[in-house]
This record gives sequence, structure tokens and C-alpha cells, in this order.
Amino acid sequence: MPRILKRYALDGLMLLPLCLFLLAFTALPLLSCVVLSFTEAGSQLFPSWDNYRALFQDSQFLLALRNTLWLTGLGVSLQLLVGLGVAMILHNLVLGRGLVRSIVLIPLGVPTIVAGVMFTYLFGSAGYLNELLSRLGVITTPINWTQGDWLSLGVLLVADLWKVTPLVTLILLAGLETIPDAALEAAAVDGATGWRRFWYITLPLLRPALTMALILRAIDAFRIFELPLILTGKSTPVLGTLAYSEFYEYDNPFGSAAAATLLMGLIAACLMTYLGLVARRDVEA
Amino acid sequence: MKPSHTLPWWYGGSLVVALFTLLPLYIMVKSSVSPPHDIFTPNPTFGVSALTDAHWKAVLASETLWPPLGKSLAVATWTMLAAIGVAAPAAYVISRLPWPWKYGVLLGLFASRMVPEVGIALPIAVRFLQWGLVDSQLGLVLAHLIKTLPFVAWILVGSFEAIPVAVEEAAEVDGCDRLGVLTRVVFPMALPGVAVAGLFAWLESWNEFTYALYLSLIDNTLPLQIYYYITRGSWFDSATYATILTVPVIVVTACLQRYLKAGYLAGAVKE
Repeated sequence: MPRILKRYALDGLMLLPLCLFLLAFTALPLLSCVVLSFTEAGSQLFPSWDNYRALFQDSQFLLALRNTLWLTGLGVSLQLLVGLGVAMILHNLVLGRGLVRSIVLIPLGVPTIVAGVMFTYLFGSAGYLNELLSRLGVITTPINWTQGDWLSLGVLLVADLWKVTPLVTLILLAGLETIPDAALEAAAVDGATGWRRFWYITLPLLRPALTMALILRAIDAFRIFELPLILTGKSTPVLGTLAYSEFYEYDNPFGSAAAATLLMGLIAACLMTYLGLVARRDVEA
Repeated sequence: MKPSHTLPWWYGGSLVVALFTLLPLYIMVKSSVSPPHDIFTPNPTFGVSALTDAHWKAVLASETLWPPLGKSLAVATWTMLAAIGVAAPAAYVISRLPWPWKYGVLLGLFASRMVPEVGIALPIAVRFLQWGLVDSQLGLVLAHLIKTLPFVAWILVGSFEAIPVAVEEAAEVDGCDRLGVLTRVVFPMALPGVAVAGLFAWLESWNEFTYALYLSLIDNTLPLQIYYYITRGSWFDSATYATILTVPVIVVTACLQRYLKAGYLAGAVKE
């Protein structure tokens, strides 16, 4: 009996530091962020909807919300599409596969802030994209890419695409490798063309990997922060940068907490959907 | 299944993807070695027409490089060591838990990777201001552990799971006590996984921007120094600093290539 007790005491001791840290530096801060968001700025009254009311009357916030939703919706669709293409390329490549894989994975290692720096050179008004377009004769006067609105959203979409597609590619490539060759060969024997094999066999079997990539990317896309901060600044706020400037520039931790809490809500909803999907699939299987 | 008639498509596609991937990197490195008249013109050149080491000399000689570089190095190294020290023992225990418990804990670790940094950084920044931990290395290491601990624990649970319980039992039969089993058998066997997890933790801290932004007022880390030069519109400085930040990253990632797998990076539910 004492030996068993000793055994569990050691296990508990090994587990304790991690649990304490996550409690003190993740769970408690999150809780205090939520509490702060429901606390009235002047009177410290709790609970109150004041901060949320103020946010939804703020045009910057509404713009940030709209931008975040567009960036997530359009961005993730684009990334899945391109990621699937690149994964198919890598999967089917015979010669030079290792080299192409190494090159494709480079952005995964490049710090996001550096990705931001690189795209300022491409999208500056005297940048390389304007130069390329004017050399090709598409434009005569340089375009101001980062002034806000749709063009700036496009800039962020391209920069994010560059940075995160490798992750999507990796997930989908792992998925492709689980599809048995026999299934595709059988379809080929039955006379299915390449495109039909892709549509009726590869894609359905890839669904788990696609779902996982979709959810992971959606969660990250909601949290996008560095790229908008660096590339488009104030002209294209997102929820993350809005929460930051509420705190640091307007000295309003309450509004910042409310924006961050909304962001958390969006992410939690995403996560729940995924867990629900996985659970349903397990039941079906 | 290699449909040979579509082969040219795959090669064409790889070429386009490789170009799109490498072009921005090329432009950045080129900017750090180009003379101003190649860049500050409405018609920047695509090729390298002239080389200069002026920006590199200026940055390497300046007072503004070494303190942030030192801080970034120290914080990343301490984060790596602390993450392994805290996560490795816990990951071992988690790896030996019965299934529903293990699933729950892994799900919790996964979820804690998903919270938005701006939500955690805000209360932490307020608290650290009171405790005098803003601008300190300790404060930043603590903040970076928020991101790296769940990730490292996640990877290590996988490494420990790969070690069969029979090995532990054999060592116990040979007269090893519980602590001896762990320190002489289990941890040495998990060392490759620990090394990989540690390097990922180091990288994540080295690249980290958001917490550093919230928790630094005067003493910048290297990523913050880059941000500072971007906001000042200083192209050559930001290109040079960004290249300095990227070089160790590319080296470490190249070493980790083999371990860049979906399950590791996603930290998601096991397939």
C-alpha cells in the first residue's frame, strides 16, 4: 500500500508544475479577461454590457469584425485550394520531390514578422508588384495597395497565403498518403479518368484531413495579428490589432478585453464545431 | 499510381509554387545588400545590379543590434530549457494515463494552444506591470512558456508513448527503483524526441512577437526591433535585421525537416 501511494505521489509531483503553470498563466488570465470585458469602465460595475455596447457603436470595431470574417472565410478557402494543389503536386512528383518539398516548406520556418517585411517590399507603392505591373503595361500609375478596403484585404490574403499554405500542404499530404493506391488503380481499371478519380475517390477519402486543416486554419485566421499590424496598419484593422490598439493607444483595457473575448467566442465556436464533427464521424464509423 | 501523361503539369506546378515561395525571400535578402539608388526609385530593379555591404556593416556596428539579439537568444534558450524541464515529466505521466483521461488532457493542451494571444497578453501585461516584470527576461520567458509548454508536452507525450511499458518492467525486475527507471531508462530513450521538442520551443520563442510587444517598453527583442524599423520606414535596416532573424531559423528548420509532420505542427487530435 505505501508503495502504491509513493508511486502516485511521484506521478502527481511530475504533473504538478505543468498544471500549476497552465492554471496561473492560461486559465486565470483568460478568466480575468472575460471578467474585465464585463466590467464597466468608470464605476467598476459587474456585470455590465457597457463595453460591448460601446464596441458595436464603434465604426473601427465593425470594420475590424468585417475584415476578420472576410480574411477567415476567403483566406482559408484559398489556402485549402492552393494547399490541396501543392499537396497533389508533391504527392505525384517522382523526380526532385525532396527538393520541391524543402522549398515549399520554407515559409513555415520564416518568422511571421519577416514575412511582413518581405511583403512591404512587394506591395509598397514604389514596390515590386507595381513595377512588374507597369512593365507589363497593365497599369500606368502606381497602385496604393495598403490604403484600406478590398485591395488591402487582398494584400493580407496573399501574405497569409504565402506564410501558412505549407502547413495546409503538410496536413493534406499526410492525408493523401493514407489513401490506398489499390482504390485508385481499381477505378483506373474501371475506366475512370484522372479527374474523375480525383473527384470521386481522392477527395472523399481526404475529408478528415481537409476538415482538420480547415478548423486549424480558421482558428489561426481569426487570430491574425502581425501581418495586418505591419502591412496595412490602421487602414485595415482586424479583431487582434483592434484589441491591441484599444489597450496601448486608447488606454482602454475594458474595450480591449471585450474585443479579445469576442475573438475567443469565435474560436470556441469553431473548436466546438470540429469536436462535434469528429464525434459524429466516430459514431457513424 | 503515377499517371505519366500528366507529368509536365506537376513539374510546371512545382516551378510556379517554388517561384512564389522564393521570390519574397530573394527580394528581402537583395534589399539588404542593394545600394539605395536601386531601391528608392519608382522603378526598382529585379536583378542585382550592384552589391553593397554598407547596410550590413552599419547594422553590425550599431549599438541597436546586440542588446535585442542577446535578449532574444537568452529568452529563447531559457524558454526551451524551462519548457523541457516542466513538460517532460508531465508528458511522461500523461502518456501512461488510461485512455479517456489521456484524451481529455490532450484535448485541454490542444485547446490552450488555440486561445488568442491578445486575450491572455492583456491581463498578463497588467499584472506584470504591477510585479515589475515588464522588460525583464523572466517575464518574457514566462509568457513564451504559455505558448510553448502545451506544444512541447504534446510532442513529448507522443515520444513517451513509443516507449513500451515492458522496458520499464524489465528495469524494475533488474532492481531499479521507480526514479531510477525514469532517469536511467525512460528519459534517455526519449532523448531524440526531447531534442526535437526543445528545438521547436526555441524557434517559437525566437520568432514570438505578440507577447513581446505587450511586455516590452524599452528592451526590445529582435522581432520587436524589426517592427520598430518598419514603423520608421527604414527599408535597409528592416531587411538586414529580418535576414539576421531568419538565418538561424532556416538552419534549425532545415535540421528539423524530417520532423516537420502534420501531427507535430498541428498539435491536433490523433488520426
